[in-house]
Amino acid sequence: MTALIGEGRPDGAISVLLVEDDAPTRWRLHDALAGAPEFRVTTAATLAEARAALNGPAPQVLLTDLQLPDGHGVQLIRETRQRFPQTEIMVISILGDEESVISAIMVGATGYLLKDAFPTDIAATVRDLVAGHSPISASIARFIVRRTQGQPGRSPLPPLNTTKLTPREIDILWGIAKGFSYADIAGHLGLSRQTVPGHIKSIYRKLEVNTRGEAVFEALQQGLIRL
Amino acid sequence: MKTEVADEASSTAWDWIYRVSGYVLVQALIAVVCILLLRQSPPEPPARHRLTGAVLVDAAGERAVGLPHHYPSRFTLHDPPLYRMSFERPADAAGQAWSVFLPRFTNGVEVAVNGAVILDSRRDPDANRPDRNTPAIAAIPAPLLYDGANVLTVRLFVWEPLTGFLDRLYVGPDDALRPAYARRTSLFLTLPVVFSAWQAILSVILGIMWLKRRHEPAYGVLAAAMALGTAQAFVSTPVGQSLYAGLNAILIASAPLESAFVLVFLILFLGLRLPFHAVAVFFPGLLIVAVGLFGDPHLVRRVYLLLGPPTVGFCLAIIAVVIARAAVERRDVVGLFLGCAITIVMVCWIHDMLSVLNITSDRRIFLARLSYSALLVAIGAGLTWRFARALNEIDSFAGRMVGLVREAEDKLRASFAREEERARAAALAAERTRLMRDLHDGLGGQLVSIVALSERSGRDGAGIGEAARGALKDLRLVIDAMDDIGGDLMLALGAWRERIAAQLRPHGLALEWRALTPDGLPLHPELRPWHVIQILRLLDEAVTNAVKHAGARRITVSLQTIAREGGPGHGRITIEDDGRGFALLPDGEAAAGTPKSARGLANMRRRAARCGARLDLASGPAGTRVRLDLPEHFPDLEDAAG
Repeated sequence: MTALIGEGRPDGAISVLLVEDDAPTRWRLHDALAGAPEFRVTTAATLAEARAALNGPAPQVLLTDLQLPDGHGVQLIRETRQRFPQTEIMVISILGDEESVISAIMVGATGYLLKDAFPTDIAATVRDLVAGHSPISASIARFIVRRTQGQPGRSPLPPLNTTKLTPREIDILWGIAKGFSYADIAGHLGLSRQTVPGHIKSIYRKLEVNTRGEAVFEALQQGLIRL
Repeated sequence: MKTEVADEASSTAWDWIYRVSGYVLVQALIAVVCILLLRQSPPEPPARHRLTGAVLVDAAGERAVGLPHHYPSRFTLHDPPLYRMSFERPADAAGQAWSVFLPRFTNGVEVAVNGAVILDSRRDPDANRPDRNTPAIAAIPAPLLYDGANVLTVRLFVWEPLTGFLDRLYVGPDDALRPAYARRTSLFLTLPVVFSAWQAILSVILGIMWLKRRHEPAYGVLAAAMALGTAQAFVSTPVGQSLYAGLNAILIASAPLESAFVLVFLILFLGLRLPFHAVAVFFPGLLIVAVGLFGDPHLVRRVYLLLGPPTVGFCLAIIAVVIARAAVERRDVVGLFLGCAITIVMVCWIHDMLSVLNITSDRRIFLARLSYSALLVAIGAGLTWRFARALNEIDSFAGRMVGLVREAEDKLRASFAREEERARAAALAAERTRLMRDLHDGLGGQLVSIVALSERSGRDGAGIGEAARGALKDLRLVIDAMDDIGGDLMLALGAWRERIAAQLRPHGLALEWRALTPDGLPLHPELRPWHVIQILRLLDEAVTNAVKHAGARRITVSLQTIAREGGPGHGRITIEDDGRGFALLPDGEAAAGTPKSARGLANMRRRAARCGARLDLASGPAGTRVRLDLPEHFPDLEDAAG
């Protein structure tokens, strides 16, 4: 674990770029992470500040809000994903609602963080993400599996392509949507408990839109800006 | 394989032979019966009044002849031959009325008793038609008769086309002669009128049918045939034909034309292809009409004699063949029926022809016209049969259509319902999305700020932070409940579990989640967001009680479907904790002294009742168990379950 965390860093710390415009929330998240010794946190309040910070060495983790004063977080996620494919990206969401989370996943995020999560949970979630374990909520899983059942048009956004998901991945999503623990799902599907979080990350990766498909991205951004 | 085919072919051939021979046998039987019937003598008075011999006086002189007598000339209007007979009237019969009865003659007679003329048949138009077997009877005025020998003279008038004929005469008391005359009249005069009336009705019905159904020319053709037949029967011509030569010609020519029409009709009726040259069968009839309109009566009669009977005979033969083929090939009742009728007509026609040509010496009674009526009856029956069958088909078709329409309506209704459901779901999703964006940007952001600020203000802000967190949790619950979960309560519970787990984690409580049946809870298509909110708040309440009041360390949530005999069963959610428990009153309410949890319990009961669910509480020192039995069907209206 320590070997993994310390990878590529002389001081062994995980570099985190935190982008959040609401000051109290930014302080809160910063404190939650800075409280743990292995995180080295840089903060930004706007898209411009975040871009400036990204001109330095690439952060290992990007945590970003979507609604920024000078732009949309989706843009930042997309840029980061293109420039630094190794960087793990998480979206900071108020409600963990599928609209914001799925939008972020489609441009390359592999997790989400609730703004009111308890400090210990925040640190644990980021740590898990670096270890390759993407968090997923029941409502996000529900949203994805219902899309696999072919019910487009129910919700205006986002246009999710679920055709690449395997039946096993869909089964895992069903289990999560119905509130079963990873252990229950693994037992039911004949998997090892440890492999389930990896599957989640793989699902997120499959839902990512090829950012070279500008048309899809534009449509996504249009929809989000209209919010 | 080859032999099989050969076998099949030979079996078909044998089948064919059986069918043809069967048909021929039936027709032969009918022909024999007809011949036997034709050999029966028509009604006659007692033989003792019969005169069988006469003295014939004509241009060739005077000679004795026997009766019936064929007079070979075709035209004797100017010098009719005279038949002289004598008869005795007994003296004791003086008080009786006496008559002369002439059963059959062609074409006209003038009857005189003792030199006084008592009957001239030429004045009776019916009697002038040689094709009708019109009998004649004349009462002899009493003063003309002598006791003992009397002289009876008959002048025979003949005009074309037939030769002269005089059947045996009867002289005697009127009482003895009249019954035979009456029977012959009804047989040879009344019956044809009845049949003609039938033809007229058929003509009108078929005419209307054809007018309304132009695409079925068969009806029009038969209507024409019937109209011709009716005209032929009712239009009578006086002896001085010259004035009505044209009409007379049409009348005379009607038999060949009518037979041609009937032939064409039968071909169409039986659904056979009408060959183009079939039109030729109308030519002889039309030729006779043309000659009648422009030529003189003598020529008309000659032409008719030459063309009329052969045309009729030809048509009859073709009709017989056509019907036989149809009857044998299709084995239908109508075909067999028509076949029998045409056989009867054929036999009668042959009989008439033999009689006209004087080949069989009989009484020159013509029956073809009468038997033709039998064919008309058969055609009428066939048409009615077909009509009734068509009506039956329409009935069953209408029944099928009604079924199909009902089915289509049901499908349409179902599709409308689906569409409505879809539209409702889409509207809900859109509304939820809008609400969520609004809450996210506004209320949500502010609540998060409150949480963050409260944490920064140290211990004083802990209460505020908790309240703000509770508000956020509630916000998530409402948004979550509005999601379209397709009636799967498990999906709503999945998100709830996550929220509860996050809430319990800081308190160090463990949440265990168990599905006791593989699918957990059953599906409820009727599940609405307000049901979900009630259930989730109820569960929230149960967990809150366990944490705050019972001091539990572990909370277990179990989900299962309780199966029912003959039904889908219902869902059951059980929440158990290992807390202290609390005392319950006998009615299941919490005992006094715990006012807050008591209020909570009352709330839980109310929520359960609104959803039609049953709440069961059990509490003891080892913990509390809240069991929620969901209804099999959630109520539509909030107040439905009280």
